[in-house]
Amino acid sequence: MPELRNVVVFTLGGERYAIELRWVREVVSLGFVTHVPSAPAALGGVCNLHGEILPVLDVNVLLEGARGLPPRQGDGALVIDAQGLVCALRVDQIDHVASLHAAGGEVTDANGRRLRLLEADELIRRALDQVAAEVELRA
Amino acid sequence: MTDDVDLDFDADELAMLRQLFRSEAHEALETVTARALASGATRPSADALAEMMRVTHTLKGAAGTVGLPDVVDLSHRLESAIAAVAGLHGAPAPWTSHANDLLIEVIDAIRGYLDRLDQPDREARAGAIRAQIERLTRPASAAAPDAPDMAPPDAPAPPDAPVPEPKTWLRVEPARVDELMSSAGELLFDRTRIERRVELLRTLAKDLARTRQTLHDALDDDARGVGSLRGAVVEAEAELSGQAALLGQTTTALLDEIEALRRTIGELQRGLTRVRMEPARSLMTHAARTLRALRRATGVAVELRTSGEDTELDKAVSEYLIDPITQLLRNAVAHGIEPAEQRRALGKPEIATITIRARQDGNTLVLDVADDGRGIETAKLAERLVATGRWSSSRARLASEADILEALLDTGVSTRGAADELAGRGVGISLVRQTVAKLGGEVRVASQPGKGTTFTLHLPLSAALAQAMLFKVDGQVYAIPSVHVTETTLVDGYAIRHTVRDTQVPVLRLEQLLGHGSAGDRRPAIVVSFAGKTLVCTVDKIIGAREIIIKPLGPLLAPLTLYAGATISGSGKVQLILDPAQLVRRGYPDAGDAVDAIDDPVTSPTVLAGRALVVDDSRAIREAMTSMLGSEGWIVDVAEDGARALQLTRQLRYDLVVTDLEMPGIGGFDLIARLRRDERFKQTPIVIITSRASPEHRRRARDLGVRALVAKPITRRKLLEALSAR
Repeated sequence: MPELRNVVVFTLGGERYAIELRWVREVVSLGFVTHVPSAPAALGGVCNLHGEILPVLDVNVLLEGARGLPPRQGDGALVIDAQGLVCALRVDQIDHVASLHAAGGEVTDANGRRLRLLEADELIRRALDQVAAEVELRA
Repeated sequence: MTDDVDLDFDADELAMLRQLFRSEAHEALETVTARALASGATRPSADALAEMMRVTHTLKGAAGTVGLPDVVDLSHRLESAIAAVAGLHGAPAPWTSHANDLLIEVIDAIRGYLDRLDQPDREARAGAIRAQIERLTRPASAAAPDAPDMAPPDAPAPPDAPVPEPKTWLRVEPARVDELMSSAGELLFDRTRIERRVELLRTLAKDLARTRQTLHDALDDDARGVGSLRGAVVEAEAELSGQAALLGQTTTALLDEIEALRRTIGELQRGLTRVRMEPARSLMTHAARTLRALRRATGVAVELRTSGEDTELDKAVSEYLIDPITQLLRNAVAHGIEPAEQRRALGKPEIATITIRARQDGNTLVLDVADDGRGIETAKLAERLVATGRWSSSRARLASEADILEALLDTGVSTRGAADELAGRGVGISLVRQTVAKLGGEVRVASQPGKGTTFTLHLPLSAALAQAMLFKVDGQVYAIPSVHVTETTLVDGYAIRHTVRDTQVPVLRLEQLLGHGSAGDRRPAIVVSFAGKTLVCTVDKIIGAREIIIKPLGPLLAPLTLYAGATISGSGKVQLILDPAQLVRRGYPDAGDAVDAIDDPVTSPTVLAGRALVVDDSRAIREAMTSMLGSEGWIVDVAEDGARALQLTRQLRYDLVVTDLEMPGIGGFDLIARLRRDERFKQTPIVIITSRASPEHRRRARDLGVRALVAKPITRRKLLEALSAR
């Protein structure tokens, strides 16, 4: 039985994804992105958000895809809050907010197309794992 | 008047006393200013006047003690003038709307006088102040603003005599220091309790080892019958269960005590922060003074209202805020407040009001600077953004009110066409944002057309300020804490060592560590020193020492040990702070040069803990290794020669074997070769300890899959390095 989920639909690298609204703290246009040498590929850089350090993640890498474009100042991003930490996911475009039917890790949009539903805590877990792996590699 | 007064102090004492006096006097004068400001244009209340007199009187006494007769005289005259206003000597002297301003001017002049006690023009300045005080009690007609014969009260000192920077003192309530002392005392208790538990754990570890040995000996004794073996096992089991229970209890207790320690450290940290706190009052008093100067310079009728003066904030944050607040006041006077006739026509009060409100919101200080002027005409602002080429016309069409106000903060574009002497072209507003961003805060602006503009500053209550050396690599700015930077230098291209004060130290090329390029040219470099080790870090460009605010990187980035944190630049960019300890580690990768790692594609992860076998014919070395490995959590068996080692390995599996080479009977290499033939020991990490490591030894070791060769004498560090992954 599919359930309704409130999601933000966004486009990244030609793909459309959905992420539940409850993870999304705000939608921002990124400030200057500082590159972090020696960080894993999933970490595109860090930004200043309201005076705090905000890591910007590359969803493509976290989904085991190829490295996307590096985040740049002015790019759109979703600020998500999960697993006790706050970070940004760079996106190409925010499409809309909608209430969509979800089943088996996917949602179906108004046109009947199926989009991958991203789990924020899973993404963050993967990011943490990647950082840990990077550190072990260099230890 | 001179200082030639007979006093019972020597020169040093007198200097110190005067320093203290100066700080006390500033505080007393501040009280008078605050009271005068609170009264606005009206006569101060009787209470306010009484307090002004009290502090002036105290000032007089103190000035006499430190031998400053002219200050005694000035305080006396000021006290009398205030008494006259209060009507203590007959009818109260008339009070004009100008009188409060005059009073504040007098106070400022006295403060300026105190800051320049060593200047030769003291007498003239004292004279000028006396004349000012006289004007306080003169009838209104005579108190015309700025009589021409008056020397400006705060004329700059002659250029050849620079004003010495007065030393600042931190005044702290004794109760706050008492709190700190009590937390520090608590730390000692916490430490003692933890040490006691650790001692208990150590004893327990010894007991466990003994029980295991008993068990081991029983199993080893082939002559023993099954019944007797069973008895020994039962006995050992009983001992083990007791030890396990004790271990559980001790661990729980230890965790509780660590929690207590964490709390104490937290209290200490909070206490230290509180020591640096001061009320927002001093910031507001400063603002009042600035506004008064602006009022005089522009003739704009404006009054300051303040609230939340008791809100506390870090002294450092407070000092940083002086410039942005000044800028906002200038901006309000120059752009926000309408001319008087326009205000009249609009039915607004002729005297405009600027309000500064401070309040605490969680860990944030919220500061509003609001005027009741014309507000920001966003349409006009958008026009100017387009006219100055900052925005395209389509962007201006699509922009929301909030976007346009945001652009004001970013670019500082103003609706006023002509350059304005007071507030510049509004450039000041972007400086406000930069300073606030540097403190880790934010600025927001809200405006209601015709009603006014409010700038809201959100700031951290306290700030971890530090001195850092800033430099550039590959287009990005980085920082290193200044305490670990000894000097800067130039390093030749391709050099791997550099001489610093007659010592050769390694060169770490940050352009390689942090960037891509490495041109072979001469480069600027920073000499970093940490824990007694020095190295030279080459960079692209040295920016210089700056005061920065350290921000934590957060849980996601914390494992990247190269960075100690980050800071935010004036323009809001994140700049990474490098950890000097990590740089030194990278500069001295061969710190354990007695450890020869042997590349072994099969076994490379760090060996954590488990059961280890130490084989060495020296009892001292066996003991030393047992202790070193034991403290790392290993269970250690020892064997005095290869034969005994083989006997043990037949019965037990080991997670690590550490062996000597030269031993009677079966030697080290022979032992390793035999172990490698055993299926169970094919992959086991093996470390050789030896007094001589010839190339031939290394080759044989590599062939046998040995993890590392460690040269004697063995140290804990060498051993741990051999065990850690390479």
